[in-house]
Amino acid sequence: MSGYMSGLIAILGINVIFAYGIYVTAAAGQLNLGGAGFQAIGAYACALLSATYGISIFWTLVFSTLVGAAIGFLIAFPILRTRGVYMVLATFAFAEVVVGIILNSELLGGSMGLIVSDYIEWQSILWTTIGVIIFVFYLMSTPLGLAMRAVHDDEAVATIMGVNNRAIQVGAFALGGALAGLSGALYAYYFGFVEVQYFNAFLSIFVLLYVLIGGTQTAWGPLIGATFFTLIPEALRMGEDWRFLIFGVLIVVMMIIRPEGIVTRDALDRIWLKLKPQTNDGAPNG
Amino acid sequence: MADPILSLRNIDKNFGGIEVLRDVSFEVASGSRHALIGPNGAGKTTLFNVISGVYTPDGGSIQLQGKDLADVPSRHRIGLGMARSFQNIRLMPHLSVIENVMLGQHARPGLLRLLRPVGMMPGAHERSEALELLNTFGLDPHRGQVVGNLPYGVRKKIEVVRALMSNPKLLLLDEPAAGLNASETATLRDFLIDVSSRGISLLVVEHDMPFVNALCDHVTVMNFGERIFDGPASSVRQSKAVLEAYLGGETGDSNAA
Amino acid sequence: MLIVQQILNGLMLGSIYVGVAVAFTLTIGILNFLNFTIPVLFMLSGMIGWSLSFYGLPFGLSEPLGWLTSLGIGVFCAVVASLIVERFTYRYFKAKHGDATEHAIPLVSSLGFLLIFEYMVLIAHGSDSRGFHTPFADLNWRFDGLVISIPQFISLFVSLAIVAGLSILLTRTKLGRALRATAENPDAAVLMGIEVNRIVPVVFVLTGLFCGLAGALFAINYSEVSPYMGDQVGTKAIAGMVLGGLGSVWGAIAGGLIVGLTETLSIYFFGATSAQVTVWGLLLVLLLFRPQGLFGHNAIGKGKF
Repeated sequence: MSGYMSGLIAILGINVIFAYGIYVTAAAGQLNLGGAGFQAIGAYACALLSATYGISIFWTLVFSTLVGAAIGFLIAFPILRTRGVYMVLATFAFAEVVVGIILNSELLGGSMGLIVSDYIEWQSILWTTIGVIIFVFYLMSTPLGLAMRAVHDDEAVATIMGVNNRAIQVGAFALGGALAGLSGALYAYYFGFVEVQYFNAFLSIFVLLYVLIGGTQTAWGPLIGATFFTLIPEALRMGEDWRFLIFGVLIVVMMIIRPEGIVTRDALDRIWLKLKPQTNDGAPNG
Repeated sequence: MADPILSLRNIDKNFGGIEVLRDVSFEVASGSRHALIGPNGAGKTTLFNVISGVYTPDGGSIQLQGKDLADVPSRHRIGLGMARSFQNIRLMPHLSVIENVMLGQHARPGLLRLLRPVGMMPGAHERSEALELLNTFGLDPHRGQVVGNLPYGVRKKIEVVRALMSNPKLLLLDEPAAGLNASETATLRDFLIDVSSRGISLLVVEHDMPFVNALCDHVTVMNFGERIFDGPASSVRQSKAVLEAYLGGETGDSNAA
Repeated sequence: MLIVQQILNGLMLGSIYVGVAVAFTLTIGILNFLNFTIPVLFMLSGMIGWSLSFYGLPFGLSEPLGWLTSLGIGVFCAVVASLIVERFTYRYFKAKHGDATEHAIPLVSSLGFLLIFEYMVLIAHGSDSRGFHTPFADLNWRFDGLVISIPQFISLFVSLAIVAGLSILLTRTKLGRALRATAENPDAAVLMGIEVNRIVPVVFVLTGLFCGLAGALFAINYSEVSPYMGDQVGTKAIAGMVLGGLGSVWGAIAGGLIVGLTETLSIYFFGATSAQVTVWGLLLVLLLFRPQGLFGHNAIGKGKF
């Protein structure tokens, strides 16, 4: 496998995990425009740990994920008191504060960045990504996942059905922070260097857009979204700037013609029916 | 007589100075089929919202099987055995019938149960009460279909099934027969009689009087936020207060029903 | 004395934020969405203004234009761009009683246009910042040990004029009353005979106008433009809007000025890199604990995107 292909798979894996981090909060009804902040947390946690303590890669990844989860959990309580545009802005502000803190901290390397002393291969990233994908599909297929969808669709009814809305939302935030943090740690290990300028507002915007364009109704959405937006520009050999321009155009077009995203529940059912025409007795999602 | 399953005492509710419920008291006897009727705007759905905890009453108390609900938050009430359906159907339009129905099970005990996949993904089969219940209603063929695409009458029934999934002792149904045709209404009636025979108490808001008469043994009538009649179904028609409420007294203008 | 100088500088800086903050707040208050295109409209005005003064009209149609003409056309282009955004985002948005992700459609579309305009400029021009020269750029006014540069002064003056103009528009004209009524209660506005459909383009025009003017003022003040100028100012302007209260024009004005002050004083006391975290930290705390800001109502923005 060429270096180019393996690099592509590594980046794709990182983007997919990142996208799932945003997806789980979106599936529970919250828009998180601060993804880059959580990814930075994971990346910097990883860089610090690997440099300072020499802990094994596996445990560093675990710990970075937990840091992401912990911060997601803590920040969830105040942020969930906001709604709508306030929540979007609050998550955005959170990411900017994270970046601001890093910029001003000697320990965290300030604007110079940090070097990561270990390295992982693309295969590790691939396996981790597959694990995350399986986990998210599993989660969404449980009553917990159903409760998340209920909170997303109709909070009042969810409450009456016995769902603890607040717990679900905080949990979703924590899980989102964990996954975004994990993607950041993987990024740190793969590229060997983290600098805060990378974790900017545009990054938060992009990952949210992958997820929304992919579709938040099913767990396929973020996978499709991240894959599409990582691979297509490569396939078409677009330059950096052109790919974002096209991305912007696609978003505007999607919001006009298909705002619910590429993968919707309806679309999925129709595809399924085509694959199994005789069992129309509700075999899918049965 | 056995303890009532639900007991409402002196329930008051104001919204911004407007009294929507005033001193409402009645009891739902255990195992009974109890109707709550009244002209539009009488406060029936508001009362349901108070009972299920969406609104906190400004006065009075609610007891479910003797347990005072004052400190019980809304989301714990389903676990105590009270489930409801909604006047405007509130299902999740992007999910399938069976997924919607399975939400009703959320409050069942067992934390680990929350982590067991319920076959939401294409290809998995789940033999469970949900499917049997759907079958009873004739909804089984629809089970995998996305709810948003289904006709009104079907969605109405799905809501009732969802409420039943929580193994309730008391079922609050808000206009379950609205929008159903004659044969569907008959099926619903028979089904509810069957449900009741398993020991589940029913409190049903309805406008369809023949349906109420065929199903219910006890009736409470409300008008303008007050209880104006409470007694056996057979005596409703003799009540002067009820006749006035529905027919507008001397002027004879017809109201709801 | 140095403090007073810093305060003055802060107010001058804030006056640039005011224009953009007002654009944000009008859009949130009247159209119920957070228009992420606003920072790039600001940038477009500045960049186009610069480009005209450097190259002249495209396709060699003219010699480089004078600073005032260039900036004027730049502002006009910002307005046009704003109307393009209106045509392809808001017009397609049918308000549904849906969930968070569905309501966010105009916001997401505006993010799309943010990318489109920003990268159009980056592709056409590259990422360099360029100088923009005005004849009075180096003139200063000194008295009592304080220095006020003429560009700064013009900036403050123009901002105040814009604000005064907007205030007259909103309080004394029919259009203004229609705008306020629509912001209060769109359904009632329709009942009162206000053609809400005609109001929408007006808001977008005002948005383009305010952002464009702010961009021009930035160019005058800093004698410099860059494709990234919108990003820096946009975030501060949002902070100003939130501080003042979403939907409140006076709030946006006060907020913009306060943010300018905070930023300048924070740089003075804590160093250059502290500005970002101070402003955003302030914003985060505000959003969490007093989202209605100084003058806003809690209700605005709750269901809105």
